[in-house]
Amino acid sequence: MISSDLNIELQQGEFVCLVGPNGAGKSTLLRTLTGLLPVLAGEIFLDDKPISRFSRKELAQRLGVVLTTPVEVGAMTVRELVSMGRFPYTGLFDRMCDHDWRVVDEALDMVSAKRFGDRMVHKLSDGERQRVMIARALAQEPQVLVLDEPTAYLDLPGRVAVMSLLHELARDHGKTILTSTHDLDQALRSADKLWVMAPNGKVTCGAPEDLALSGEFQRVFDGERVRFDAVQGLFALKEENEGVALLEGEGEARLWTERALKRLGYRVDLDYQGQKEPLRVAVFSGEDGLQWLIATEDGHEVFTSIGEMSEYIKNGA
Amino acid sequence: MGKINQQMDQQGKSTGRLWIFGLLLLVLLLVVALNLSLGSVSIPLKDIIGTILGSPGIKDSWVYIVQSYRLPKIITAILAGISLSASGLQMQTMFRNPLADPFILGINSGASLGVAVAIMGSTMVGGMFLPAVSSMGELGIVVAASIGSGIVMALILLAGRMVKSSTTLLILGLMFGTATGALVSLLIYFSSPEKVKAYSVWSYGAFNGVTWQQLKVMAPVIVFAIGILFFLPKGLNAMLLGEDYAKTMGLNTRRMRVMILLSASILTGTVTAFCGPIGFIGVAVPHIARNLFKTSNHKILIPAVIVIGAIVAVAADLVAQLPGSQLVLPINVVTSLFGAPFVLWVVLKQKRGATSFNV
Repeated sequence: MISSDLNIELQQGEFVCLVGPNGAGKSTLLRTLTGLLPVLAGEIFLDDKPISRFSRKELAQRLGVVLTTPVEVGAMTVRELVSMGRFPYTGLFDRMCDHDWRVVDEALDMVSAKRFGDRMVHKLSDGERQRVMIARALAQEPQVLVLDEPTAYLDLPGRVAVMSLLHELARDHGKTILTSTHDLDQALRSADKLWVMAPNGKVTCGAPEDLALSGEFQRVFDGERVRFDAVQGLFALKEENEGVALLEGEGEARLWTERALKRLGYRVDLDYQGQKEPLRVAVFSGEDGLQWLIATEDGHEVFTSIGEMSEYIKNGA
Repeated sequence: MGKINQQMDQQGKSTGRLWIFGLLLLVLLLVVALNLSLGSVSIPLKDIIGTILGSPGIKDSWVYIVQSYRLPKIITAILAGISLSASGLQMQTMFRNPLADPFILGINSGASLGVAVAIMGSTMVGGMFLPAVSSMGELGIVVAASIGSGIVMALILLAGRMVKSSTTLLILGLMFGTATGALVSLLIYFSSPEKVKAYSVWSYGAFNGVTWQQLKVMAPVIVFAIGILFFLPKGLNAMLLGEDYAKTMGLNTRRMRVMILLSASILTGTVTAFCGPIGFIGVAVPHIARNLFKTSNHKILIPAVIVIGAIVAVAADLVAQLPGSQLVLPINVVTSLFGAPFVLWVVLKQKRGATSFNV
């Protein structure tokens, strides 16, 4: 039993991200919703009809699924793979009519994969392959698209591309999209709604901004070493309160210096009245470019890069 | 414009494939003709057709050799090659494992056990089987072999749901093979010498022991099981993506598994019953087909493995005859000598994980 008392719904044309810490049961929830796992109790409705009353084929015509694991189909062209999305429509011998091919081409177009339609699937990059798998699901002409961690194996640009593609599919093509993701940052930026799953299986729904404001994120995601920074909408390493740094400086240089100090465990402040002597850092542009200055007991040390400065602080300023 | 190009590309591809098919059929014809003509007695190629038809002016001994010896042997080889390759293809797709085949997964051994029980078990189970075998003839052995292979295949299928790694699955197959082998040894230990002899002759593997009479049983059974296969390409293609994807595309995966199980174990069981356990054809031919046609689409692969399987089996038999000598090697010697290095090559070629079918 993962979770109980779930009462959640998807609206047409909505882009919903399911987020939550590892092991909360996101995959299990998605697999249950798509009928890959049996429902232990309760009912799942699609268009006001219980999912169990659809035949497998009928369900496949309404619900497309993309899973995490990269597929290994061997030698097959992208178009062939996408054409497999027509399975719930073709007969026993899988004869494709003109209409079927048109849907396949449209699906390829939607994920902007038309230009590599004739390439072999195993020669694609992971990102391209995931887009093709999405096209395959789209070729089922589903109302609802459910994706389980579609970005898990992708690099950052690949993740951004897939998430914005899903956003587009919901906004421009009226698809209802539910995807689980680890990428909170992306989810916060692009989802219409979030389902936040807590480790105890409780699911909270709402607009991303509302959930951030209400502190729901912090409750679910705050860990021992990481905390959710509601101001920046990002995760940050928890400061270990090694000390306080007073930083002087402006602009980009200040911003990046501040990051470096935070990383080294300092809380950066403008003003400080405490017992312990703060670390005093200044950044300014000198004659030979940027320079960093750290105050010491008898004067100061000068550095020409943040790297040098970090090295100095680490070795015990 | 792009669309037209695409269609032309697709057409170019399919005419290319037709050419390959045509070429393969020619090769098949060639190996069949060579097999008919070569052997301990050579018959000139130009007289082959006359010999088959028994035309006047052809030596009687030739007509006898071809009609009652070489022809049934070649038909048996073709049927066996088709069956083993087809069940190898189905299993590789179902297990998503490029090394799966009836021999490696121990399904052959299951068939062997079935046959061993049918031939020798009579002493132990009070002659329950032997009367059945003698009265129903070969059908009894076919049923026994199919049941044996079906049981092992079902066991492996169960195990395969628990373990995903292909290496583990292969080791499991090896273990099943060893275990059934032990049971066969036990049966041999308690059997009379003539039954043991009958069993060991069978276990060397041969295409030449099958008579016209036996072909009347073997051929329809195999044609039936291959017939099932022609209804499966759509489902097999879906299975390439894995069972979860196949389900979300509307495939009834349970029924699909039963169909594959049925077709593959009948094919393996029948061939093993009549020809003995024959290795490596099942694993090698699907790879040859994928490499030759550069596709893993079963609509093309199924006819491809059928033609290539027939060629490989007839060619293996040709080599086993050692043309120009009086010696005949067991067919297993030939398939293993060529097959084992081939499997090694497949294993070494795998780059991206153990489940890849990449060519």
